[in-house]
Amino acid sequence: MTLKKTIDKDSGLEKAISYLLIIGVVLSVLLEIAGIIILSRDLHSLAIRESSSVFIQEHDFFRFIYNFLRTGHGDGAGIWLMTAGLIILILTPFLRVILSFFYFALKKDRKYVFITAFVLLALTLSLLLH
Amino acid sequence: MLNMLSLGLLSIVVGFIGSLTGIGGASILVPILALLGVPLKEAIACGMVAIIATSSGSASSYVRERIANVRIAMFLEMFTITGAIAGATITLYIAPVFLYFFFAAFLMTSFLGLRRSITEYIPPSTQDKLSRWLQLDGSYFDESAKATVDYRVNNALFGGLGMLGAGLAAGMLGIGAGAFKVTVMENIMRMPPKVSSTTSNFIIGMTALAGVSVYLFSGLLNLTIIAPMAVGTTIGAIAGGRVLNKLSNRTLRILFFVIVVYLIVQMIYKGITAL
Repeated sequence: MTLKKTIDKDSGLEKAISYLLIIGVVLSVLLEIAGIIILSRDLHSLAIRESSSVFIQEHDFFRFIYNFLRTGHGDGAGIWLMTAGLIILILTPFLRVILSFFYFALKKDRKYVFITAFVLLALTLSLLLH
Repeated sequence: MLNMLSLGLLSIVVGFIGSLTGIGGASILVPILALLGVPLKEAIACGMVAIIATSSGSASSYVRERIANVRIAMFLEMFTITGAIAGATITLYIAPVFLYFFFAAFLMTSFLGLRRSITEYIPPSTQDKLSRWLQLDGSYFDESAKATVDYRVNNALFGGLGMLGAGLAAGMLGIGAGAFKVTVMENIMRMPPKVSSTTSNFIIGMTALAGVSVYLFSGLLNLTIIAPMAVGTTIGAIAGGRVLNKLSNRTLRILFFVIVVYLIVQMIYKGITAL
């Protein structure tokens, strides 16, 4: 029965991750749908655009969030909602790693605290680089 | 004619297939977008969003149903992220042409496990020290077989190195490398098919995330492509996440191999045209 030893160990973490992911994706989908509806109503078209206002360019992810919160919706509510949806979509798996880190820290599971800390650091580093 | 509505509908199908097979879905979506007139670099950059959406959308079910293994995923993510960061850096100095062929050759090894993965899963009788120390084992209830499947992982170190390679390929080629990850987990780490594809699904989101800032900086992210793609792949992935456990390993493997054949052809073609 040695195979069964870890079966119920992480059910708390699994539930928390599951809720976090579903809340993140549903929120992001709702924002994207609202953004698509408003943009296509404003422009009277569902066409995919190649104009500069629909493109995002930022130095890195954290500055992207900072500038988004600072500048507001200068390009219209549609673009603003789509950008908000994208930020939440990207933040969701990032928060998932932070959540796992705190879970293993609370459980005092040193091996996995180290592993999640490594993933979190590498991920943060990658989001700072370009 | 591609517009936001048709792209959204197409993405539902891609998210569904991606969530069942453990591949990101970008490898299916990107060539279609390019064929329909979206500039290739723009399609690749936006494809990253499809991978993240497929990963989060399906993982919410897979983690709750305990098919995806969070510990195995966290352990392997150390390697894929390191590989992805290294790959994104190396690609500035080395042309990735040879990698296409390497990738194609590696994917061909996934056929070696074909017979085994279609028959019933038998856990390896021994487990190496590292895998045991990391407690890389688990169990899930298979709704299709109506049985609980106990499993344990072997060769954690080589699995980790395989993931490093997958991350490297992902970083250099701008792909999620999901098929590569599934093959490593099944053939090297000896994980059951459903655990491999769902755990891969969980991990690919992280690999794609590591590339986000690169694409933000490139200025190629088009919101009118990203928004319908994110909506469609998420809906497809949530649907796939609810269906997977009801399907037999056989059906899932056949779907996986069809996609793998397509990917091998795609990689060889890209490699030859890049020479």
